[in-house]
Amino acid sequence: MTRAVLIRFGEMLFVAFGVSVLTFLMIHLIPGDAAQIMLGAADATPEKIAVLRAKLGLDRPLIMQYGLWIGHALTGDLGTSIWTGRPVIEEIAGRVGVTAEVTLLGLASAITIAIPAGCLMATMRSSVSDYAMRIVSIAGVTIPSFWLGTMLIFGTSALLPGAQVVGYVPFGQDAWGNLQRMILPVIALALPAVAALSRVIRAAMLEALTQDYVRTARAKGVSEARVIFTHALRNALIPFVTAVGIILGYQFGGSVVIEQVFALPGLGRLVVGAITERNYPLIQAAILLATVVFVVVNFLVDVLYLAIDPRARG
Amino acid sequence: MIRLMNMTARAAAVAAITLATIAAPAARAQVLDIATDASPVGLDPHVATSFATFVVVSNIYEGLTAIEKDLRIVPALADKWTISADSLTYDFHIRAGASFHNGRAVTPQDIIANIERIRDPKTASPLSSRVASVKTMEATGSDSLRITLAAPSAPFLSQLGTIAIVAPEAIPELGRKPVGTGPYQFKEWVPDTYIALDRNPGYWDKGLPAISGLKFHIVPDAATRQAGVMGGTYKLIPVADAATAAALKGKPGVKLLETQDLAYSLIGVNTTRAPFDKPAVREALNMALDRAQIVQAVYFGRGVVGGPLSPALANWALPVTDFPCYKPDAEGAKKKLAEAGVTLPLKMTLKVIGSLPQAVDASQVIQAQLNKAGFEITLNVQEQGKFIADWRASDFDGFVSLNGGNPDPDDYFGRTFQTGGATNVFKYSNPDLDKLLADGRMETDAGKRKPIYDAAQKILACQGPVMHIAYGTLFAAARDELQGFSPMPTRSLRTLRDAKLAK
Repeated sequence: MTRAVLIRFGEMLFVAFGVSVLTFLMIHLIPGDAAQIMLGAADATPEKIAVLRAKLGLDRPLIMQYGLWIGHALTGDLGTSIWTGRPVIEEIAGRVGVTAEVTLLGLASAITIAIPAGCLMATMRSSVSDYAMRIVSIAGVTIPSFWLGTMLIFGTSALLPGAQVVGYVPFGQDAWGNLQRMILPVIALALPAVAALSRVIRAAMLEALTQDYVRTARAKGVSEARVIFTHALRNALIPFVTAVGIILGYQFGGSVVIEQVFALPGLGRLVVGAITERNYPLIQAAILLATVVFVVVNFLVDVLYLAIDPRARG
Repeated sequence: MIRLMNMTARAAAVAAITLATIAAPAARAQVLDIATDASPVGLDPHVATSFATFVVVSNIYEGLTAIEKDLRIVPALADKWTISADSLTYDFHIRAGASFHNGRAVTPQDIIANIERIRDPKTASPLSSRVASVKTMEATGSDSLRITLAAPSAPFLSQLGTIAIVAPEAIPELGRKPVGTGPYQFKEWVPDTYIALDRNPGYWDKGLPAISGLKFHIVPDAATRQAGVMGGTYKLIPVADAATAAALKGKPGVKLLETQDLAYSLIGVNTTRAPFDKPAVREALNMALDRAQIVQAVYFGRGVVGGPLSPALANWALPVTDFPCYKPDAEGAKKKLAEAGVTLPLKMTLKVIGSLPQAVDASQVIQAQLNKAGFEITLNVQEQGKFIADWRASDFDGFVSLNGGNPDPDDYFGRTFQTGGATNVFKYSNPDLDKLLADGRMETDAGKRKPIYDAAQKILACQGPVMHIAYGTLFAAARDELQGFSPMPTRSLRTLRDAKLAK
């Protein structure tokens, strides 16, 4: 078990290192001089370009630049935002809460709905309700969340004009106002996840229900509910946990679009803004952070997987 | 009888309570919720000049003069002024009661400090060319000020209207906490969420503004802004794109307001690259264009064909019927090219600014039109940074873009077409035009300026380095309860000063 965890940990470090190199190289791979492009044509005098190049450390050798950047990053210093002059880490810290709230609420709602829905679909296999739910879930996977989000806003504005469903109020300032504005983005973010996760549960349950131990349990006279929720579900959860890890990554990415549509001041908006402003230190830091979160979540899922399924430890 | 009185009193009390409960939310609703698309980079009006900044700061700041919606120049912080006979000395009187949001009265020294700041190369203000003609400034009293120019400058008063006067003591934090003299004062800025302004109770125009506050919600998605104004979450979209405007048309409770945009679509050519150095080739480009078709295809019909000056400059712009090359004539264009000794087809690469969808759309129609008239056009749609760098370095045969406009003809022509002008990336040089522009700048009598700029437009329209194509319509969408607001060609929200919220 320890050995397996260590291997996974080593893999995680390797991926994180690779991503950090790519992120770092980004500033060097864009065509033209980054400093010139950041300044734009209007006021890119040679002196200003030189000052900015020095500020960004672009005048040093590549290896040294990477060493300095990663060294600072490991101590929590991800550089300074070009336009506001504030530390990048502060800018990100101010936004990460909004993204975390919408992502985690979305994921929690998705899990809460997907597990019973998946079980239901599996037990009612080939019935009309199974087909109906499968059609809904295919629709859920296919509908892009930005479209769904926009339709939810239009629907609400037609049915409940004046309802405050877009924008953001901090939870600490107005809890009800905060949750009210979270309803639609969470639905838009959760629905595709519900669809994907319930299909995973359904497939895993169908497989589990054909296993010998299920037949044995039924033969012993165990109630059907107990067969499904205790015996079959526990085994069906193994692929589900993996899927949740991947979905969380997608939710994190999907929240970029959701934040645009619902005008939420999250990390996604910050990054999109940084891209249009060519604020490279901020873009690099945000990509690095997002990747690290994604890699760490996957590592934790792997560990959890090892804990749930003894067969994976070998 | 007593019983009856009692009942009446009771009814009155109920009515009063009912009225009070209705009135209370109405009083709160006096904040105007505005949906805007992007966060400003900063709120320092001397440094940040993008629309995202301007839409907010045009409520916070004023200049010595102001530009009205019909582009007239009206008094603002200066309530009156006199101009010497030689048009070199301007004496301004600062309005009594004009004060900054921090309560301090505006002094002549404040005005001087502002102009000095814009002129200072360290500020790197894009507005610096607008005060380049200023030679000396001095306070001539506690509320008066004399500005002397190095040479007469007809557009000076209109340029002053674009110079926001900030409180000099607020300069260190100006990008985040603006302090001006305008009808609304800064309250708070929550990044990517909203910027809130409060009514300025000390505004010099007593009784104004009627609205108790403005809240600029930053809503990046056009569909969300549209739904928000339909549902009433937002009361105003200061600039709606043509598609949003079309979708909001006729929706209950929403009114569409429109004005002529100063910005225009154009083709620019490099007059140092053969054969575009030949005026006849540039004329052929003009003749090959069917501008009305571009208005239909790219502006959805919501725009007008225009010459070198926006039709919004009603006092200055010549009608396009005065420009013979504006009549689409592909065969004539071919003939012109042949006469100029060009072998057909004439190969030309047009660089296109990729960040402006309207320019990209226009370039495709332009390509098709020019190819019918003896050209062979290659389009190169570029990333914005690269486009601007090439534009700046005059590294192009030709380009397709959109340009912002200016309320005075000289400001645009001088910068763009005069030999060595700051944005003359075309390397265009025409001694006749240079002379006209110099005369126009010196001439402060509007009646005598007019024929000078008429002549300049005629030179530029057909043989200049820029093929002016069309000027779009600017839309704003507002809820019916917002009254007295009208959009301006400059995109300033200055009219919110006089607006009110009904109900």
